[in-house]
Amino acid sequence: MAVKIFAAIDVGSYELAMKIFEFSAKGGMKEIDHVRHRIELGTDTYNTGKISHERVEELCEVLQEFSQIMQTYHVDAYRAYATSAVRETVNAPVLLEQIKLRTGLKVEVLSNSEQRFMHYKAVASRGEQFSRFIGEGAAVVDIGGGSIQISLFDNDSLVTTQNIRLGILRMREMLMDLKPKTNHYEQLLEELADNQLSVFKRLYLKDKKIQSIIIVDDYISYIMQKLGKGQQIITAEQFHGFVDEMQKMGPEKCAASLGVAQESASLLLPSAVLVRRILKATKAVNIWAPGVSLADGIAYEYGEKEKYIRNRHDFENDIIACAINMSKRYQGDRERNRLLEEVAMQLFDHTKKIHGMGKRERLLLRIAALLNDCGRYVSLEAAAECGYSIIMATEMIGLSHAEREIVANLVRFNKAGFDYTAKPDPETSLKIAKLTAIFRVADGICRSYRTKVKEVKLQVRDEELLITVDADEKITLEKGFFGRKASMFEEVFGIRPVLKQKKNLQV
Amino acid sequence: MDKKELTRHEYYSNRELSWLAFNERVLGEARDKTNPLFERLKFLAITASNLDEFFMIRVASLKDMVNAGYKKKDIAGMTPQEQLDAIHEATHAQVALQYSTFNRSLLPLLSSNGICFLTEHEQLNAKQQEYVDRYFMENVYPVLTPMAVDSSRPFPLLRNRSLNIGALLKNKKKSGAEFAAVQVPTGLSRIVQIPDEEQTVLILLEEIIERNMHKLFLNYDVICAHPFRIMRNADLTIEEDEAADLLKEIEKQIKKRQWGEVIRLEVEENADKRLLKILKKELDIKDEGIYRINGPLDLSFLMKMYGLKGFDHLKKKPYEPVLPKVFREEGDIFSKIRQQDILLHHPYEDFSPVISFIREASRDPDVLAIKQTLYRVSGNSPIIAALAEAAENGKQVCVLVELKARFDEEHNIVWARMLEKAGCHVIYGLVGLKTHCKITLVVRREEDGIKRYVHLGTGNYNDATAKLYTDIGLLTCAEPVGEDATAVFNMLSGYSEPLQWNRLSLAPLWLKDRFLELIGREEKNALAGKSAGIIAKINSLCDKDIIEALYRASMAGVQIRLIVRGICCLKVGMQGISENISVRSIVGDFLEHSRIFYFENAGASEVYCASADWMPRNLERRVEILFPVEEEALKERMLHILDTLLADTVKARILTEDGTYIRVDKRGKIPLCAQEVFCEEAAAFHQQDKEIKSRVFIPEERIE
Repeated sequence: MAVKIFAAIDVGSYELAMKIFEFSAKGGMKEIDHVRHRIELGTDTYNTGKISHERVEELCEVLQEFSQIMQTYHVDAYRAYATSAVRETVNAPVLLEQIKLRTGLKVEVLSNSEQRFMHYKAVASRGEQFSRFIGEGAAVVDIGGGSIQISLFDNDSLVTTQNIRLGILRMREMLMDLKPKTNHYEQLLEELADNQLSVFKRLYLKDKKIQSIIIVDDYISYIMQKLGKGQQIITAEQFHGFVDEMQKMGPEKCAASLGVAQESASLLLPSAVLVRRILKATKAVNIWAPGVSLADGIAYEYGEKEKYIRNRHDFENDIIACAINMSKRYQGDRERNRLLEEVAMQLFDHTKKIHGMGKRERLLLRIAALLNDCGRYVSLEAAAECGYSIIMATEMIGLSHAEREIVANLVRFNKAGFDYTAKPDPETSLKIAKLTAIFRVADGICRSYRTKVKEVKLQVRDEELLITVDADEKITLEKGFFGRKASMFEEVFGIRPVLKQKKNLQV
Repeated sequence: MDKKELTRHEYYSNRELSWLAFNERVLGEARDKTNPLFERLKFLAITASNLDEFFMIRVASLKDMVNAGYKKKDIAGMTPQEQLDAIHEATHAQVALQYSTFNRSLLPLLSSNGICFLTEHEQLNAKQQEYVDRYFMENVYPVLTPMAVDSSRPFPLLRNRSLNIGALLKNKKKSGAEFAAVQVPTGLSRIVQIPDEEQTVLILLEEIIERNMHKLFLNYDVICAHPFRIMRNADLTIEEDEAADLLKEIEKQIKKRQWGEVIRLEVEENADKRLLKILKKELDIKDEGIYRINGPLDLSFLMKMYGLKGFDHLKKKPYEPVLPKVFREEGDIFSKIRQQDILLHHPYEDFSPVISFIREASRDPDVLAIKQTLYRVSGNSPIIAALAEAAENGKQVCVLVELKARFDEEHNIVWARMLEKAGCHVIYGLVGLKTHCKITLVVRREEDGIKRYVHLGTGNYNDATAKLYTDIGLLTCAEPVGEDATAVFNMLSGYSEPLQWNRLSLAPLWLKDRFLELIGREEKNALAGKSAGIIAKINSLCDKDIIEALYRASMAGVQIRLIVRGICCLKVGMQGISENISVRSIVGDFLEHSRIFYFENAGASEVYCASADWMPRNLERRVEILFPVEEEALKERMLHILDTLLADTVKARILTEDGTYIRVDKRGKIPLCAQEVFCEEAAAFHQQDKEIKSRVFIPEERIE
């Protein structure tokens, strides 16, 4: 059958949700069913660090039901992802194993950046609407319980994406003690939000025009659905009107009148205030709440991977744009980094038969190239270690934690000595070794010339990798430098890189 | 007029009295000389069993309120005690009317039609006496359990609604009277036919027992013996919070139900005073609860009499529901639904397509799942069989069985268990809510993806009542409806509410708001000078908010035509309030059961059907569904149905300003019976189709 059925399960902090999708050449991606069960896994995790026995019980029961529903639809494939509630439990692996034993479902944990990237993909899955919005300049605001993620778009491309610890649950908890004592709860919320947003504004919003904000969340989106009767776009003015109204009514009453569960009412006001402050900071005039959830993103990613849906938007480009912006912030040498990127890519592509790595590894190498000198911003002496730390501390949308760790290690081991012992697992360790080997050769080539390298030709001959470089200026550095850089390549692949300069006939 | 004004008690009628008025309309059918004799018997039987249920539920619950000292006034400003007093007064009058109808009209008519109904055993002749006495010894005596009362034996527990014979006995050796009772066995037919060559002679079982009472108490003299019947409080309120297992709780409640407080005592009019005194004392019942009956107790036996063979000329010709044309054509039901939405108007159109919808789904290899709500199903239901078969065929079958359906629990539990055994996922209702909506969802995996087929109805999935109740059913595979249907079952399975609904409106979420919004829209349109109008066909109207909204719309000039079969707490013709509202009630051969709503909406009219009435219990404590009929042709059909009902001059009664119902003034009008019109229309359709079927080519014969 030309139609594939896919199930996306989201084990969230407040809710377990499953969406069933249908993929077909004709209809693309279509949601068929959406099942939600409210269970506050997050409350346990955030308070005690573990999910209580009762909740695990409930979790497994519901997942078991999900599994039955999947059977009903004769699902061809599924992905189940857990987010922060499971991510932050101390015994996540035990929990996941228990789920697997009891329900047969394999649940994977998403890092924050992966999760956000999926939200973002979910928004992008709305196609034309998305293109139109980001073309005009937009900020995707992904509101979570613990933090929010703001991704800025300018002229179709991602400018930056930042995680700000301004989650609605966090805001509520921070002010919980104050609430009974003050009549200015909203004002406090606003102050809190403005405080954090001001830094962001100073750093990223200086001369950007943000026409619209795109909201991904559980509360405002829902309310907008109800308010706009299915219409997803409202103006900033309409939104302000709504928030004023809500403040007058009080969130509880407002929730009741909109048919929102009472338990959500307490999070409604922080959400609304937050959006309002972001509107103010960005001076956006439209709000679009596409009403997407993680499950949409999971499905989109699957459909993309399995080629059921064509890419409407180049997500890889977003990741790279992010890396470039990050490099800019740490005053990287743009020219040099670009050269390194180019050479590294060429090297990677030409030695594909030797290293046997794929597209994703190529992307990681590319990012490492772009970020190779960011550590210098902090210390010239300990650039390698600083680079590692900076990358590990900076979320890059679209990269998983493990992937980011690879990138950080590449940057580190390019300069520092390779550490064979400190890696998480043998597979990753090998990957890092292979990539480091390539990366070092590329870096060696670039550093052997003063000016721009015009062309690099590669040839594998016997046990040598012959690298012929066409550059205006002669090699100035001693040969020994390249030899040191290349030794790892020989160690890993058993092939020795040899650097040669192309004879320039005109000279 | 401001909002407060409209809530004044005098603008509303009491729902219990309104219900009694409805029962009187049914009684009117029993009194209607134009109805065939046996139909009249049937209507009389219905009034009797209706009244029984009314006492068990409504009167009982008022009694509970009085006992609990609850004094809150109802919509019409009456306290529970005032309501009880008024009910008893009205019921006494109604019962008198029942029996005068029976004794003065129906008995003589039976007699003139060759049926001799002996109301008392004293009327038996010698030969007949001999027969009944033998009948007694052979059939009745072995199953009787006489219960005497004396100092060592307490007053026996008498079962709810059971017919008993009470007797006063005198010990042959001692002085003084003793009380004894014997229950008329329910396992034996209450009507006993005495062989006779010339005519049909009938007598009631209790009369035979009464005659032979002395055989039960050999050492005693029977001073007197009279049948009596008691009614107990049977309102089933389940403490759901306390019950871990709802199912068990209901099983327990059923057993308990037999022994509630006595709220009504029926006894023969000429019963011995001493006997009555004992009953009154032992059953702890006041005078107003005692009904002295001039004739046989519990007229519901007349329903059995309807089944008497050989009297078809005294009955209405039974109507055969017509199978709609589309279902007689080749092809599977799914392809038919894919072609267009299909509207079914039962009982004029056959219910079998609904059964085949489920049956075909149970066997279709592409069907993944069948989900259905079941409220009341017939015994030996083909739907249950099909669902079980589907589960055995490996389909996911999810059935919500509403155990709280009144008086049906015992029955429901049996087949719910059966479904479970077959592998169906059975949900036993929702805590605090009754699931009253009628919806079936079939999920099918087709060439171009998942497709959902939905049946939505106003009546239960009961093939037996579908022959008697008028209902609307809609079969559709429209995607928005399918999505909503999936969401409905997700919710019924305990998952969260979906983020949005496309077409369906659900009670108790916001169906009431939706109705108020729709009525309010008409009000606004009328005020803005746009065309406005409401037609609503329902079984009962007693929700205060809805009535208030209707008053308001009427005040704005909206023409409101209501077809309310039963209870109606709305008052018509109140100056400045409800002048633009008319209410008619149709009580006919079929029970009017469909709920249809029409809103003019400034020219862009909308038609809806629902499982809900405009009653607080429907809108607030039940899961109900309102669904739109959107295809133009089907909308027109619905409008035709409403128009025809509004034009009825035969079975319709009009609510007047004083709260009484009168027949339509037929002068200058052609008599029109809506139900007959629908029958004829369906049959005509059928006929036309037959002709087409017989259009075959006839080969010429060779000429030798």
